[in-house]
Amino acid sequence: MLLALTQWLAQDVRTFSVFNYITLRAVLAAMTALFITFMLGPFMIRKLTAYKIGQSVRSDGPQTHLIKAGTPTMGGALILVAIGITTLLWGDLHNHYIWVVLLSTLGFGAIGWVDDYRKVVHRNPKGLSARAKMAGQSVLALIVGFYLLQNATTPAHTELIVPFFKTVAIPMAGFAFVLVCYLVIVGSSNAVNLTDGLDGLAIMPVVMVSSALAIFAYVAGHAVFSKYLGIPYIQGASELAVFCAAIAGAGLAFLWFNAYPAEVFMGDVGALALGAALGTVAMIVRQELVLFIMGGVFVLEAVSVMLQVSYFKYTKWKFGTGKRVLLMAPLHHHYEQKGWKETQVVVRFWIITMMLVLLGLATLKLR
Amino acid sequence: MNVYIGKRMMDALGEANLSKAKVMTTPNHPVRFWIITMMLVLLGLATLKLR
Repeated sequence: MLLALTQWLAQDVRTFSVFNYITLRAVLAAMTALFITFMLGPFMIRKLTAYKIGQSVRSDGPQTHLIKAGTPTMGGALILVAIGITTLLWGDLHNHYIWVVLLSTLGFGAIGWVDDYRKVVHRNPKGLSARAKMAGQSVLALIVGFYLLQNATTPAHTELIVPFFKTVAIPMAGFAFVLVCYLVIVGSSNAVNLTDGLDGLAIMPVVMVSSALAIFAYVAGHAVFSKYLGIPYIQGASELAVFCAAIAGAGLAFLWFNAYPAEVFMGDVGALALGAALGTVAMIVRQELVLFIMGGVFVLEAVSVMLQVSYFKYTKWKFGTGKRVLLMAPLHHHYEQKGWKETQVVVRFWIITMMLVLLGLATLKLR
Repeated sequence: MNVYIGKRMMDALGEANLSKAKVMTTPNHPVRFWIITMMLVLLGLATLKLR
């Protein structure tokens, strides 16, 4: 909206044409999202506390987490409000990619919201059933997949780009592209949700990965840069840098309240939405394999749960007694059980993400 | 005889210890300082375009 206003003002005052630059709008989007989250954060925490919207803690989890019971949750709604307002303010609303990522993010957020609402307001410990949650996520991911496929104008829009190889790009037929889209969006959404088990553990990697995706989006939508770097040119993708910057800004401000000891948790409403946002942006800019690298912590957390559950079921079927690979799943609880403090696990996982994000960014040049 | 008593502007020095002495618990104040630094870096980067 502000872009349209500044473009109108630029007809008389040339200074306003500076807002046409995506880089500037991205920085301003990050600052706006930061400001909104900082301003609304304390108010929202007070309201959540007043309405007793508190987190229930799993009884089979680490005993040290029992004191967290009752901490306000569903703070992810605050992040989504900040991202939504900021993107509408600074994004180019004629760009269809902006609407795809916004609707995907808010759609996944709505699923998470229903789940959280049932858990904390209706006191239903199961929340939304796993089948209903999966069905909702699948429908949304498939809609995004089909939409992107329908709007692909060049083969580059649907090719699987292999990092570190300049000339290797695997063409994907219609069904394969939609399947990959489904796996990436649903996978990243659930992986971020599984990671969100310690104070600040999920949000900082989300901030780092979205910042890196902002760079990928910017160069993918820039004809000169994309040609120079040998990555597919996706017309209009640059605008996603504004959206990614909004995620980074809102996430950073949310961390202020979510750092140990957390005053608020993001809940499924935030985790599912942010994971889906990262997956959708990665699909549009054709960097799903790079997302796999940069979001390595999310991937490890998800794999740790799958491994633990599969191995337990297998050994129970084979030997009659279930055995475990890890002391506790997801992975962050395993390290807590090994004696690491919560803050140590969190900061070390951040450091690992930082290294993985650098590796992901290196793929821009190392190919 | 005049007795001069030294007074302090802050509860503790430096800024990090002040925050600790005021309201923030030990673990989250380093993170909040990192966030402030990141915001300042963002502001610094904005100067590339805003001139």
